[in-house]
Amino acid sequence: MATSERPEARGLGDRIYDIVFHNVLWQAIFRSGYPNTPRNQMLAIATNVFLHLHPTRIHRTHVKITHTFCLGGLSFFLFIGLTITGVLLMFYYVPSVERAYQDIQNIQTNVRFGFLMRNMHRWMAHGMVLMVLLHMMRVFYTGAYKPPREFNWIVGVVLLVLTLMLSFTGYLLPWDELSLWAITVGTNMVGSAPILGPPQQFVLIGGFEVGPAALVRFYTLHVIGFPLLAATFMTVHFWRIRRDGGLARPL
Amino acid sequence: MATDAATAASAAVRGRARRQREEELLVWPDLVFIEFISALVFTLMFTLLSIAINSPLQDRANPANTPNPSKAPWYFLNLQELLLHMNPALAGVIVPTVALIAIGAIPFYDNSNEGQGEWVSTPGGGRLVKLGAWVGSIGSLILILWDAAKHVQVYQMIFGAGSWPTSLNWFKSARDFQGWLDTSAYSPIPDGLRRIPLGDYLLRTDLLGLTEEPIDLTVNVPGLIVEQIIPVTLMVGLPILLSIVAWRIGWAKTRRDHMILQFSGFLAVYFTLTIIGTAFRGRGMELYWPWDNPPVIT
Ligand code: HEM
Repeated sequence: MATSERPEARGLGDRIYDIVFHNVLWQAIFRSGYPNTPRNQMLAIATNVFLHLHPTRIHRTHVKITHTFCLGGLSFFLFIGLTITGVLLMFYYVPSVERAYQDIQNIQTNVRFGFLMRNMHRWMAHGMVLMVLLHMMRVFYTGAYKPPREFNWIVGVVLLVLTLMLSFTGYLLPWDELSLWAITVGTNMVGSAPILGPPQQFVLIGGFEVGPAALVRFYTLHVIGFPLLAATFMTVHFWRIRRDGGLARPL
Repeated sequence: MATDAATAASAAVRGRARRQREEELLVWPDLVFIEFISALVFTLMFTLLSIAINSPLQDRANPANTPNPSKAPWYFLNLQELLLHMNPALAGVIVPTVALIAIGAIPFYDNSNEGQGEWVSTPGGGRLVKLGAWVGSIGSLILILWDAAKHVQVYQMIFGAGSWPTSLNWFKSARDFQGWLDTSAYSPIPDGLRRIPLGDYLLRTDLLGLTEEPIDLTVNVPGLIVEQIIPVTLMVGLPILLSIVAWRIGWAKTRRDHMILQFSGFLAVYFTLTIIGTAFRGRGMELYWPWDNPPVIT
């Protein structure tokens, strides 16, 4: 199909179209015209750093919802949502034993839309664990771990662990009964490992029991350590999907 | 110059084997649209959910006051459930580590690239999923109920209170079995072999800078049997047995078949343990109906 970048402006609609999509600003940002021709549609993907995660064309079976149920994409979406709401929560939260609990109460009751941020952060965190588990199941049952995708499957397992760790470290931060004892039970499991367990537990919680040091460690891991690791592994994960020839499909 | 690049590119594309252009769609709009809509739907869903339900915030943490039961977050309650039945190092560290390594190793065992990209693609795959799911969930349920001596309750409901024969006391639960091995006059383990001291300084952990105190290396043989040997035997043996049976009756032929069976079984066990740990464990981590003892979930 021969298409010109600038259809001749004939009627009023065409003229508006021209003003909106062919002005200098639009072209400075997007370079290609409005994606209404195959060429511009491919350029829209290929010239945009975010959309460039995708190939420009994919096999039609992969667009069927029942092939992936969007689960990997939704895991990623929730990760982004958690980052945004998490940053907002950080404005109001100080990870000290004296303040943490009051800060959370404050967020929940006084801060405008604070309850929304905290609730969304919490429900999305549960949602992400669930989505990642379901995504792993869908990958398994569609046989998408098979060569050449073995390595991406392993990257996935690492991402699963990181997702659990992200959620677990966040669990302590409200410093209420629930968090303290959940983390105590959880870190005691680490401590039960033969020989190396107790010193590992000591390093993890910075003492013999969950206290101020543990709160700072968990906070740091939660807001910067694990998110960076997860983002790194996600980058590898997405890169490998492209390198492995897109999603798996029958030979 | 642009044309040169374009010609070269299109030549490269034409040369690519087995690529069916007519089967392909453009990512914009077909995929981007789906992604956009699902992001929108999920944003909306989570917003509404967050308006409707507040996340829990209990009293301020008080290290002096241990709630009963104390539970880990729900995705670790499967491990906490295991913890009730076996050695803590086994349940809390070794089993999850081995499980993750085993999951990571799946593609290296099932390494043919056939049958990919389709849901449960082998013939008879569906019934393997069901077999694994039933055996895994019912099996773990039976073991949990047995370890809570529920079979004794059922027996006494039928034959009257106190009717459980004392000669079968070792069959009440894992703990009772351990006690029986340890103290009963009928125990198959000779008296002198129930505790085997390996000496205090076999392992000089103090030299490694780990702990000053000598580790007690006395082997508690009944404990070893009940907390480690039996659970490991069950966790390794039952899945192998399942695969052998599925192979002998002709249901599982390829490696993919066995993986479908094993993974389904694993998921079933995983979810059963998680659900029991989350909703059915109450005070003292005993079994309760969820409505008798509203447990803390989130
Ligand atoms: C934070 C966690 C994760 C994110 C954000 C993520 C994201 C994604 C996305 C967006 C895709 C594209 C297809 C789809 O949506 O299904 C994908 C594919 C894939 N994922 Fe994940 N994933 C995660 C965890 C995992 C886990 C836990 C596993 C397995 C253990 C895994 C293994 C794979 C494999 C093998 C593919 C290729 C599937 C195919 O070729 O059909 N991922 N992932």
